[in-house]
Amino acid sequence: MSLQLLFDALSLGGIYAIAALGIALIFGVMKLVNFAHGQFIACAVFALILPSTDAVAALGLGLLPTPLLILAILGFGAGLAVAAEALVFRPLRNASPVALMVGSFALGVALQNFLLVLYGGRPKAISLWAGLGAPVRIGPAEVPLLQLIVIAAVIAILLALGLMLKRSRLGLEMRAAAADFGMAQLLGVRANRVISGAFALSGALAAVVALVMVAQTGVADVRMGGQIMLIAFIATVVGGMGSLPGAVAAGLAIGAASALLQAGLPDAARPFRDAFLYALVIVVLLFRPQGLFAAADAKPRV
Amino acid sequence: MAKLGIHDLAVRYGKLTAISDLSFTVAEGERLFISGPNGAGKSSLLGAISGAVPAAHGRIEMDGDILSGLGPERIARRGLSMVPEGRRIFGGLTVQENLMVGTGIRRDRAAVADDLETAFTAFPILRTRAQAPAGALSGGQQQMLAIARALMTNPKVMLVDEPSLGLAPKVVDEVYDRLCSLQALRGLTLVIVEQSSTRAARVGGRMILMRGGRIVADGDAAGFAAADLLSEAYFGDPA
Repeated sequence: MSLQLLFDALSLGGIYAIAALGIALIFGVMKLVNFAHGQFIACAVFALILPSTDAVAALGLGLLPTPLLILAILGFGAGLAVAAEALVFRPLRNASPVALMVGSFALGVALQNFLLVLYGGRPKAISLWAGLGAPVRIGPAEVPLLQLIVIAAVIAILLALGLMLKRSRLGLEMRAAAADFGMAQLLGVRANRVISGAFALSGALAAVVALVMVAQTGVADVRMGGQIMLIAFIATVVGGMGSLPGAVAAGLAIGAASALLQAGLPDAARPFRDAFLYALVIVVLLFRPQGLFAAADAKPRV
Repeated sequence: MAKLGIHDLAVRYGKLTAISDLSFTVAEGERLFISGPNGAGKSSLLGAISGAVPAAHGRIEMDGDILSGLGPERIARRGLSMVPEGRRIFGGLTVQENLMVGTGIRRDRAAVADDLETAFTAFPILRTRAQAPAGALSGGQQQMLAIARALMTNPKVMLVDEPSLGLAPKVVDEVYDRLCSLQALRGLTLVIVEQSSTRAARVGGRMILMRGGRIVADGDAAGFAAADLLSEAYFGDPA
């Protein structure tokens, strides 16, 4: 029982962490809360299937062999985010953060309506990787294979992202730009390169979330980005805006709290699980309004 | 030809004029101090040269090429580097990472390694603390890091804004000592904003005195201490 709960918490929290990272990466370099992130996720889901308004989806990209399919969807997510940056956010680069945020809302609404036109509003069944629901015995617990894959993938992604930020040229420039964009530019760091890079990573992370959601639910729904976007946004706030470790920690914590509440609440209270969850969030923010890991960028010392 | 030429420069923030009709040239290898009271436009001048602040009017040239309008990323690539006011160290990055941020514009990998060695030799504390977060350094150490970081872009011209701000006099001595020896070693052209004209006179070089966005005097720094120009600039009738 408790081992099962642990796997539930890790897989749910892991996905929240990946979604929150997608938002925190962009906030870090350009102080933009990208509310279109949820629609990036939804678009990556619909990229798997052919445009039609039928109730049952016909796979398009989803027919590719698994490794190619994953690469194609990650590439699609990255490309979509980079295109959105170039077309929507770049012209707004010097606008106020509020204007940028409103721009991201507008982009989100536009993308959602674009999906509605192409695919219709009804949720569609997608059968992708049907075998992954099979249970695996681990000691006393029975865990779906998919959950194990999700946990392994999340760990691999976090390690790879950490290495990329710590070791690569782009990672160094992204961290410098997140700390002080103007200073980074004075040292020759190209703003366009860093911001495009952040959007590409963020879009690829949105695609990861999309693949996991499709595999878990077997459904493509135009609205599916909204709920996870809300949780991911809360995770970035709780973690401390702009802090990547904070986003990961808070994403995991919210996933774990959600799984614990689901298992621990009495039956009558279970439908109100999210109310309890958000109450917890409010309590955390009352005690640490700056978030758990407030971007502790040292002020210049005199 | 002058290394750096400023011609009829004006900088405005909205309706506020920070600099107007400013012209001067800097020769290759020269050490030029910019001094003057608060609000004289010293930092705006450095901001305009580095591309961080847009010029409202006029042009800035380096080696005869026009810099104004290029923006900081491209100006840095032309060989002009900035040690900004308040040092603006990347506090969460390690000391060595701070030094490497500006090397992205270079293609000469081997020379980058040599320059890192030069920086570590000039500032041994940076070698000792290479893997420490830069935010944990003291103010003086951060100033040395900011200078070393600017050098890592392999500049020909370096702008230094108030390097002595908030530092103990002994530490300021050390900062200027290293700056001067690095200038000699690399053949740098230095433009330094320095509030203290006595400090500028002691270090030696040319000095421009600014007030209200204009140049009020230009000459050898040592001569200023004796002349009345300083008190005139600070306390005289507004221009």
